[in-house]
Amino acid sequence: MSRRSRLDFWSGVLIVALAVVVLLMLLPLYRIFAASLIDNRSGVLTLANFTQILGRPAYEAALVNSLIVGAGGMVGATLLGIPLAALTTRFSIAGRDLLATLAVLALVSPPFIGAYAWIMMLGSNGWLRALLGEVGIGLPPIYGMFGILLVFSLKFYPFVFLLTSSGLGAISPSLEEAAESLGAGPWRRFFKVTLPLVLPAVSSGALLAFVLSIADFGTPSIVGGQVRLLATTAFDLFTAEMGGNPGLASATSVVLIAISMAVVVLQRWAVRRRDVAGSLIRRPSTRRLGPVASVAAHVACYAIVLAGALPSLVIIVTSFRKTRGPVFHPGFGVDSYARILGEVPQVIANSFTYSTVAVAMIVVFGTLIGYVLSRRDTMASGVLDGVLLIPYIVPGVVMGLAFAVTFNVPPLQITGTAAIIVLMLFVRRLPYTVRSSAAILKQIKGGIEEAAIILGAPPWRAFVKVTLPLMLPGVIAGALMSFITAINELSSSLILYVGRTMTMPVRIYLSVLDGEFGTASALSTILLVATGIAVFAVFRISDRKESAFI
Amino acid sequence: MARVELHRIHKLYPGVLALDDVDLAIESGEFFTLLGPSGCGKTTMLRTVAGFTRQDSGEVRVAGERIDAVPAHRRNIGMVFQDYAIFPHLTVGENVAFGLVNRGRPRQEIDRRVAHALDLVRLGGYAARLPHQLSGGQQQRVGLARAVVIEPQILLMDEPLSNLDAKLRVELRDDIRDLQRSLGITTIYVTHDQEEALAISDRIGVMQGGRVHQVGTPWEIYAKPKTLFVASFVGAMNVIEGVALGDGGSLSLGIVPCRAPMLAGRRRVTIAVRPEDTRLAGADGDVAGNALVLEGVVDKVAFAGREAFYRVQLDEGAQVQAHVQRPEPRSLERPGARVRLNLPLARLHWFDPPTGTRIEAAT
Repeated sequence: MSRRSRLDFWSGVLIVALAVVVLLMLLPLYRIFAASLIDNRSGVLTLANFTQILGRPAYEAALVNSLIVGAGGMVGATLLGIPLAALTTRFSIAGRDLLATLAVLALVSPPFIGAYAWIMMLGSNGWLRALLGEVGIGLPPIYGMFGILLVFSLKFYPFVFLLTSSGLGAISPSLEEAAESLGAGPWRRFFKVTLPLVLPAVSSGALLAFVLSIADFGTPSIVGGQVRLLATTAFDLFTAEMGGNPGLASATSVVLIAISMAVVVLQRWAVRRRDVAGSLIRRPSTRRLGPVASVAAHVACYAIVLAGALPSLVIIVTSFRKTRGPVFHPGFGVDSYARILGEVPQVIANSFTYSTVAVAMIVVFGTLIGYVLSRRDTMASGVLDGVLLIPYIVPGVVMGLAFAVTFNVPPLQITGTAAIIVLMLFVRRLPYTVRSSAAILKQIKGGIEEAAIILGAPPWRAFVKVTLPLMLPGVIAGALMSFITAINELSSSLILYVGRTMTMPVRIYLSVLDGEFGTASALSTILLVATGIAVFAVFRISDRKESAFI
Repeated sequence: MARVELHRIHKLYPGVLALDDVDLAIESGEFFTLLGPSGCGKTTMLRTVAGFTRQDSGEVRVAGERIDAVPAHRRNIGMVFQDYAIFPHLTVGENVAFGLVNRGRPRQEIDRRVAHALDLVRLGGYAARLPHQLSGGQQQRVGLARAVVIEPQILLMDEPLSNLDAKLRVELRDDIRDLQRSLGITTIYVTHDQEEALAISDRIGVMQGGRVHQVGTPWEIYAKPKTLFVASFVGAMNVIEGVALGDGGSLSLGIVPCRAPMLAGRRRVTIAVRPEDTRLAGADGDVAGNALVLEGVVDKVAFAGREAFYRVQLDEGAQVQAHVQRPEPRSLERPGARVRLNLPLARLHWFDPPTGTRIEAAT
């Protein structure tokens, strides 16, 4: 009897999960695909929207620019990330933990904050640019492609750094010694042994940098100047005051998804035969460097992470500058905080409420679905596993558009409500928690639940007394991670918000566009502090595993 | 303490017949081992008794009562797992108390019984430790204490020693045996290690392909294997297949005529002999009476102190392992030397070639 009821409970979870996935992922994406193939006026099936993207110079430029941004962000992140990983894992560098912590902070702080911090430094009125100008180094303002690539490189290098570090840390030194004893010199050893072994890790990091670069909306619209990308174009086409162009906006979205998918498939193909999980009897050790080399290595490492962390520091300092209205005055004070608490307390409350509710839903659904996926191998769970990959490759702008077109007609009319924003945060982050809890469960041996049962605990009690406590640290760490991304979400919220459902990132974005850097900095500091507390908690729970943040 | 009866247990997994109408009876207080290669069905059998696997048909009875419909957590069975399955978030004491708490025993009684169980496995004073502070052998002792503290009707053990190193394995094996004897719990033990099975069991059931080939005491299993499979799986065994027979059971093998009356009427037979039952002699060595005498060339010699292992390439084609006890320098033949092997007829096992079943010598 108990066997049957248990079967039914988990079957129920599976059905609910499939319903959620169909309603919140497949249906909105289907609407976008359908809209991309339909002429706005006549309503007939057409490929006209796609031919426009390739035909009209403005859209073609957006496509090319997106590819440049993706490739550039990836290359930049890799050029910063690999040397940092190689230096810190192979040589003794002081303060390795500090470096990793700073990298994690750069990773979790929202990209649009980095963008406007760099504008405050190197924009038309930037203080750093003025300072450099006084000493004779004349720089052009950073608006444009250079600015975008600078922000993305410094924002996304931690992915490459953290993944490559753990990759290098998992290579047994015996392999390199074996190559050496077989007559391979240092270069040959690196290219024939070390690099192939670490390539899956490097390429995963690089892939993430590419996908996130082309998906990001805040950075190019703040620092991009005249440079148009697919993400910003789709947003403009959809939200244009004078009747948007949903067909073209959808087609642009489809192209974005297609590029992301192509890159993911390419990366999977490139590393298809490379399973590097081996037995690790000896841990790689670090070597001491000579004095000159050591100084050079330290300078390189700290320059990279400090440049990555600089935007956050600038923001925090700026938030304490004296302001009157949008104008900065000499000296420090808490004017900006007084102002935001007076003007937009609702925005702050919204951000915390929405994120908390979304995370609570994510934890419950993510844990249950993760349990089903790891303990039951049916066709339905296989389908679910595949569909849950969608949020990894669909940019926030696109998901926002898809939600906006799907949920603005009865019976699913929820546009303009807090619910649509919470559901968006929920669906964007759910797969990460599903995967992490499934991974945790795979490590908890099935036998341990059986041990509890044979000792007289009914199945539910075995789950509560044994499985759940063992899952809990991972679940809490996952929840905190979800909270970090939820509270920092900009692009989809920007499409779905109305006045009373505005969140902090949206308000920061609008303030930056209006030149109100004081307000923006104070709100950003609140975000950074909330994020920092969550990071600290994850560190405490997950035993300082920086890889937990990827 | 209870008798366990398994009646016509059948279990089919997609594409694999795990249990093929298995009948077994395990006596009260007996230490019974299911022995067989991986995939033979022994673990499925154990998990069926535990209640984790539901048989397609057949009955499981404990002390006369059918327990098929009883869920695992109400069966009052102790189980020891291959990977220990010690709860890593609970202390040693809490692990051992887990089953007693589920049974709602009073606190005082739990404390007393936990302390006693830990003493039994020589882990007194470890109650407050966490499992990760323990070695593999100690963790399995906790598993043992946890299983017996609930005073189960039967104790199930699923390859409990296979994750331990050789020395610990022998040590814990003896501890398990002593504990089982002193408590008198009916025990079903699963292993693929024939040496372990021989050393620890009252009786052994040798399984293969979902069937029980033979049930018997360790001595019966080793000395009177009922099938060729049991003969080859338990201990080392030389097998000479497809030996042609002449009139009245005369063998077409060996340098002196040799006859086995009970083979009369058969055309072929499979001969098996244990390496320790062979007598190795030089090329001009004695020809023993009442023995099958074969000649060949030494292929390989491995000296191991108190004994030496020879591999002999017979003139007839087969290869045979021979043990020589207490080898002397002059008796050590070198590879390439011609030798003579005496196989006493009383030490030979005879099997029917198509079925692999034993042909008993007429007594």
